[in-house]
Amino acid sequence: MIRLRGVTKEYDRRKILRNLDLQVDAGEFVFLTGPSGAGKTTLLRLLYAVERPTDGEVWVAGRRVDELSRTRLPLLRRKIGVIFQDFKLLKRKTVLENITFVLRIHGIAPRESQRRALQVLKRLGLHHRQSALPDSLSGGEQQRVAIARALAYQPRLILADEPTGNLDADLASELLSLLCDINYQGATVLVATHDHAILESIPARTLVLHQGRVHYDGMWPP
Amino acid sequence: MIPHAFAEGWLLLRQRGAVSLVLALVLAVPISLAGMGLTIRHWLAPMVGLSSQSSTVVVLLHPRLDERQRQRWIADESAAHPGWSISEVSNEDLVTRLGRWFPYLDELVAGGDASLPPMIEIVTADPESVAVLEGRSEVLAVGPRSSIPQAVSRVSGHLAWAMGLLSAVLLAGAVLLAAVWVHLELFRHADEITIMRLVGATERTIRGPFLVAVATPAAVAAALSVVGTITATAGLSRLTQDLGLSPITVPPMVLMMQAAAGLVLPVVAAMITLARHATDELEG
Repeated sequence: MIRLRGVTKEYDRRKILRNLDLQVDAGEFVFLTGPSGAGKTTLLRLLYAVERPTDGEVWVAGRRVDELSRTRLPLLRRKIGVIFQDFKLLKRKTVLENITFVLRIHGIAPRESQRRALQVLKRLGLHHRQSALPDSLSGGEQQRVAIARALAYQPRLILADEPTGNLDADLASELLSLLCDINYQGATVLVATHDHAILESIPARTLVLHQGRVHYDGMWPP
Repeated sequence: MIPHAFAEGWLLLRQRGAVSLVLALVLAVPISLAGMGLTIRHWLAPMVGLSSQSSTVVVLLHPRLDERQRQRWIADESAAHPGWSISEVSNEDLVTRLGRWFPYLDELVAGGDASLPPMIEIVTADPESVAVLEGRSEVLAVGPRSSIPQAVSRVSGHLAWAMGLLSAVLLAGAVLLAAVWVHLELFRHADEITIMRLVGATERTIRGPFLVAVATPAAVAAALSVVGTITATAGLSRLTQDLGLSPITVPPMVLMMQAAAGLVLPVVAAMITLARHATDELEG
């Protein structure tokens, strides 16, 4: 599902990722961890093609992402559900519209979009806030809307950047079990986090990034 | 995607209703003025065309030339200038004309027609070409080369040219205005557009609502500009008729051009701005 070959990413001659080789198979659940500045977010940004590598190849779902044209990018991104660290919700749209909007982009009919959005909101305990605007929600609620949006169209790959950062322990554990369920149904899940409690809560393959390299690749705790 | 574009475009318009209306009015003014300019240009066309009419230039020949020399000179000049039609004004005719033009010269004219220099008339479409005769030993004087129709034609030509230029500048201004408006709207919605791209929206999905939001005030601007031009031209026409000039009518082609310009130019400007924004985003 994901393959990186000799990937290097530099910003202003500062190497964030160094000659990184990595493979994540379809259906895997993988944690990506490491200290701040280790390159976790940069790696995710390379995967959904917001950044292009300075050197190397990035493959996602059988496509070489770093060479994709602008017209092909949306097709790739529709296969990936991204849970952003800063939520990235549309501020003018309600909670429900934030989700149905993405479903409409995927070509799902309005009524079906509404049904699916309500279903996923109910699952995340947010159906009572469906008409609220994002700015009126708490950080945790906004996080859950972002998660609902990423899950609504049942993508084959889910990339989550610190998804539990704004959630309390109960909600964090609920979210992880949700991600596990989705993984169980066949989706590949890559979760970037620096929260060790989360790493220990689920036995899963863990990649530790340090100074732009994979420092450890195996089950956690080592 | 079309219903989505209309639904989202309508939302944009609703949020910025007053601004959209102001944009429509501000766009309508230059387009309407450009239409007026083209209408006046069209009205001036017959006057500009006066330059193609023939003018008569009077030339006084030297009294020393006898009848035979005069005839030979006329024949030579006619052969040298095929565009000229040279005719001799008889002395009697000259006396009559002088008597009519300058009644106070009666005494001089009565002194005998032999003292008057022979006069010829050259009818030509290019009166300036008669200037070549100035300074010739056979020629005493060349009369005014510019006739009223020529002068009217020249002034009308300059005016028509200025009107055409003004119209082009005004239309360019309208396009620039629309482009700046779209640019500001994109800036206002930059975060949303970025999010849309990240969740897999195509450029068509992103651009559609903006194009609807621009096309609607553009259509209003086109309609307003047509009404504005017709109304203003009617007022101007009354003025020209009061001055004894022909009435001004708006050619249907100008109205069609205005409608097309009002609608198409802002949309094209919006498309270019949106395309550039997409490229900038990718490069960034």
